[in-house]
Amino acid sequence: MPLLKIDDKEIQVESGTTILETAIASGIEIPYYCYHPALEVVGSCRMCLVQVEGMSKLQVSCNTFIGEVHPDRKVNGKYDMVVYTQNELVVKERKNILEFLLLNHPLDCPVCDQAGECYLQDYSFKFGNAHSRFEEEKRVRPNEYLGSQIVINHNRCILCSRCVRFTQEISGTSELFVEARGYNSKIAALEDKPLDNLLAGNVADICPVGALLSTDYIHKNRIWNLEQKPSICQDCSVGCNVDVFSQQDQIFRLTARENQDVNGYFMCDIGRYGFHRFEKIERISHPMVRNGKSFNVLDWDEAIKKTADLIEKSKEKTAGIVSPFHTNESNYLLGLLMKETLGYLPPITGEEITFPTKFRISADRSPNLRGVNDICGDLVKDFTSIIKTRDIRGLYILDDGVDRKLDDSWKDILAKMDFVIVQSYAMTELAKSAHIVLPGLAPFEREGTITNDKGRIQWLRPSLATKGDSKPDWEILMLVRNALHKESEYFADLGEVIKKMGDQFPNYSGISLFKIGTQGMALT
Amino acid sequence: MAIITKSYEPTFWDRLYFPALIKGLMVTLRYFFKRKVTIQYPDEKYVPPDGYRGLHRLNKYPDGRIRCVACEMCSAACPADCIYIVPGPAPWEGGKERYPVKFDIDLLKCIFCGFCEMACPEEAIELTEIYDFSAYSREDLLIDREGLLEVYELTKNQNYYSRTDKSKKPAT
Repeated sequence: MPLLKIDDKEIQVESGTTILETAIASGIEIPYYCYHPALEVVGSCRMCLVQVEGMSKLQVSCNTFIGEVHPDRKVNGKYDMVVYTQNELVVKERKNILEFLLLNHPLDCPVCDQAGECYLQDYSFKFGNAHSRFEEEKRVRPNEYLGSQIVINHNRCILCSRCVRFTQEISGTSELFVEARGYNSKIAALEDKPLDNLLAGNVADICPVGALLSTDYIHKNRIWNLEQKPSICQDCSVGCNVDVFSQQDQIFRLTARENQDVNGYFMCDIGRYGFHRFEKIERISHPMVRNGKSFNVLDWDEAIKKTADLIEKSKEKTAGIVSPFHTNESNYLLGLLMKETLGYLPPITGEEITFPTKFRISADRSPNLRGVNDICGDLVKDFTSIIKTRDIRGLYILDDGVDRKLDDSWKDILAKMDFVIVQSYAMTELAKSAHIVLPGLAPFEREGTITNDKGRIQWLRPSLATKGDSKPDWEILMLVRNALHKESEYFADLGEVIKKMGDQFPNYSGISLFKIGTQGMALT
Repeated sequence: MAIITKSYEPTFWDRLYFPALIKGLMVTLRYFFKRKVTIQYPDEKYVPPDGYRGLHRLNKYPDGRIRCVACEMCSAACPADCIYIVPGPAPWEGGKERYPVKFDIDLLKCIFCGFCEMACPEEAIELTEIYDFSAYSREDLLIDREGLLEVYELTKNQNYYSRTDKSKKPAT
């Protein structure tokens, strides 16, 4: 393996890696714009210039490969390559490159949504000049819509071409290209093909400056006001890793979080803008019991007692209905609570979409269908016809707040039941027909594990604070179970539920939230 | 063992007291004929010196557009955390594309340090000479965008108290 010396650090690397990759991996800072680990290397921004001993000119570190040299030609008798990233020449050259990049770049950080997470801002501050020598008029171009969700501000663009390469390599749709040459070049979309593919939102994420903006987030907030929390996208069974940016219980945007085993660096627009549907929901914040046509508010102790009484009275003729939107733990506890868990709520389906780089959007648009099938054993798919053959007098529904249109067969069943208990966070049609409503948590408030369709278990972490009087879904189910069976165990936290789940299902054994971590783990 | 140290031992002249009394009354007498410094507030208003940091205002361009671009530099710089801004796309054509939909300052939290006007890149927020604002409730001391623009109208041309023309004064 070649021995490399970057500044004062000796590093042994695989032959064929680039200087920039090595520097990033070993924590040496080399500024860059156009390089992106998921995209082809073009070396167009010239920001990552370094000096390599023995080479007359500065080299772009993103496209300079390290290889073994003949023993006679090693530098100082032992190094295959000696790189300087901080010497006088490199520092001066960086200043010059930044001065060129900033020639036509407006000084509009106050109105730019990228400010605070802008590479141009950071690097100008760290490596650039304090003053510009450019006295002429700056080039001004109007903003343009590249697609329905993406706006380009040409003035801010530094032409790194990350977005162009993204549409060519990742989404495979090639809508974007660099129009014209030299001073006049700019990013443009094809006239008859605007940037409207399902991965278009990523373009705003990978833009190192504030040139490409998502209309969904433009002029909404400043990045330093937002709290960034890791989470899992809950709009299809792929389970992309995301970061949730929120301020005071309001989500402002989602961005993709890197996970090479699931989604790589990107996420789709269905998930990216999916959080908006939770903004319009009618939230349930207190336990409620039916009183004629309306509901009366209860406190928790009473509600749990009433629920347990109803289930007890029905003498095991109550069936549980789990949801593919809930976590494994909630579904598992409902399975423990009921002698029979009959079915699950109709899953949401869509079109299966696969992109050239194997990025996919699953046809199953619920996050945890695999987990439901793993945990809850023999569920019937055709619930509505099976229920008629059995003597079921009550239903305990773990509702997920998705606004489904229930067909007549479901309405028939609900009407026939002696009682319906619905655990939900939103006033859905199901909740409206319930006798007791228990308020659970909304999707980005929940904690637990979910299993994606490839059998990877991931930790769904809460990104927002719980609202009102609602309790975690697994806790409600545990309390009902404790009220029903006095001898049943009390789980102090989620970890104990996972442990108990592992005892029962061998492929879920040995799992803990700590082991799952940020990247998830594959089930055996 | 306590040590008593006497810094001053009164002399016979001091023990008479009258000389000191007369000396003190001379000071009173001297000020009696001097120019009065007491202000008959509130009939008469104190005019603060230039650079006084009082009530905030939001500046406008001559054509009526708000100068503020809702960059939230002021709220980031604010040590009392009293500025709440909600940005939005500006309703006017041309000019800056962003403006404050909501701009609230909690005057009870504010410590009038002036960091906000120093942080402002657009010279939009400024502290004026107004010091006599008070209200009967806490809510009334939460000044909103319209209120701040009103303060601008009150103070843009003349000093709020002395009514002297501001444009004639040298810029500070």
